[in-house]
Amino acid sequence: MQSYWFGDIDGEGCHPFVGSPADQAARLESIDTDMAAYIPVAWEDAVRCGFAKDRGDYLQKLRNLCFFIAEAKIAEHFTSRDIELVQMVRMLDELDDVINLLTERAVEWYRTKNPSFSRKYRSLSGRRVIQVMKKERDRAFAEIIADIEKLQESRTRLMRDVTALADTVIPNCSALIGGLVAARLVSRAGSLEELSRLPGSSIQVLGAQSALFSHMRTGSPSPKHGIIFQHRRVHNADRDVRGRVARVLAAKLGIAARIDYFRQEIDQDFLNASQEAVDRAGEGT
Amino acid sequence: MIWIDGVLVSEGKGGVYGEKMLRNCRIWDPYRSKLAAYYHKGCGHELRKDDVVLYLGAANGTTVSHVADYTECVYAVEFAPRPMQDLLAVAAKRKNIVPIMADASRPEWYAPLLEPVDLLYMDVADPDQIGIASRNSVFLKQSGIALLMLKTRSIDVRSDPGDVLAESIARLEESDFVIQETMWLLPYHQDHAAILCAKK
Repeated sequence: MQSYWFGDIDGEGCHPFVGSPADQAARLESIDTDMAAYIPVAWEDAVRCGFAKDRGDYLQKLRNLCFFIAEAKIAEHFTSRDIELVQMVRMLDELDDVINLLTERAVEWYRTKNPSFSRKYRSLSGRRVIQVMKKERDRAFAEIIADIEKLQESRTRLMRDVTALADTVIPNCSALIGGLVAARLVSRAGSLEELSRLPGSSIQVLGAQSALFSHMRTGSPSPKHGIIFQHRRVHNADRDVRGRVARVLAAKLGIAARIDYFRQEIDQDFLNASQEAVDRAGEGT
Repeated sequence: MIWIDGVLVSEGKGGVYGEKMLRNCRIWDPYRSKLAAYYHKGCGHELRKDDVVLYLGAANGTTVSHVADYTECVYAVEFAPRPMQDLLAVAAKRKNIVPIMADASRPEWYAPLLEPVDLLYMDVADPDQIGIASRNSVFLKQSGIALLMLKTRSIDVRSDPGDVLAESIARLEESDFVIQETMWLLPYHQDHAAILCAKK
């Protein structure tokens, strides 16, 4: 017997399946096609079956089913919470870029108004620069500075939200390297599912693609770390053990991502053991 | 294929993705679409009015919409949710597109939906592109043709594109295909080759 979307065909004839697109989709999921014995069906069979009137009717019914399946899958994909997390992190990184860009341009402009400013601003942090420039009397300029400040506030708020969401969606990864960096890893991988399928060695160099490819093409030294460098235990480690810390941390993150994806709960025993392993890797030899 | 003064076009309602129109026909840009590039290079296989096409890697449905203008029916397979949304919008306006959200490397899932096809067209970014092609050859009619757009960089970034092509051809001949023609899609697309083959 061969099962098709509109019914079953066997030696005795054809048995059409009647139902809504939802019923058809559920039945389709349960069909286990053996590709070795599979023969694609001719649409005329569906007409002979009494399922469709003609070619146009056959295609229309098939399209209805396919639209139903695709829309259901898309909805399922976009409502998973790690996808929102990914969008939030990307927005956060985009905000950083925009704020820096605007601040730099504003400084250039401000310098033409106050030529003596250029020496002072080297020693100031980005935020302080904004505070200084805020006092400028030019209306248009002051408004732009106010907007930059507002963007900074939005950024801070968004960062808090990202960390909070990461703590609930990816609790184990967040406990290991902090919510923000963990969320960035998910963003780079595309989704939590994809992150959970990566081996530790890939997680270790996520975000260092250009270095990785130049390593593979030309044989330059391989990158030791990508996004996980942002974690303090990696960037604070001594140079000679940094690679080892990154490797151990990445391996544990791979496991943490799988726990987050499949179990969705915090595993304290695993975390304690992992933290200890990472700390041990950071101690000199 | 329809050419107007050296410009490849297709007949159909415009405004699918902001394509330009020429005498009421939709311009098919070879720099955007690998299939259009293939025809600009002087093709060996034309689309026919009564062809049924299986299109793997449909993406946003831009090339799919042109194929649908030329043929009877297109089964468009795409896996990623975001491009699938665009594809659905295209398919809503063209009644001869069947949008299938599925993984092209697992044909057993969508096999119950398909009918025998005249053309298997494939534009997927997967290291195992050849394996996917041979797993999908079961849908081809005996007289059917497969047209593969080989993304050599997706198969192996390290190797020379020429070596990747040679190896892919060898693997195709080992499976169910007889190679009829291969060509690089330069200057329209870098490191992409088109492979035309028939079913053994």
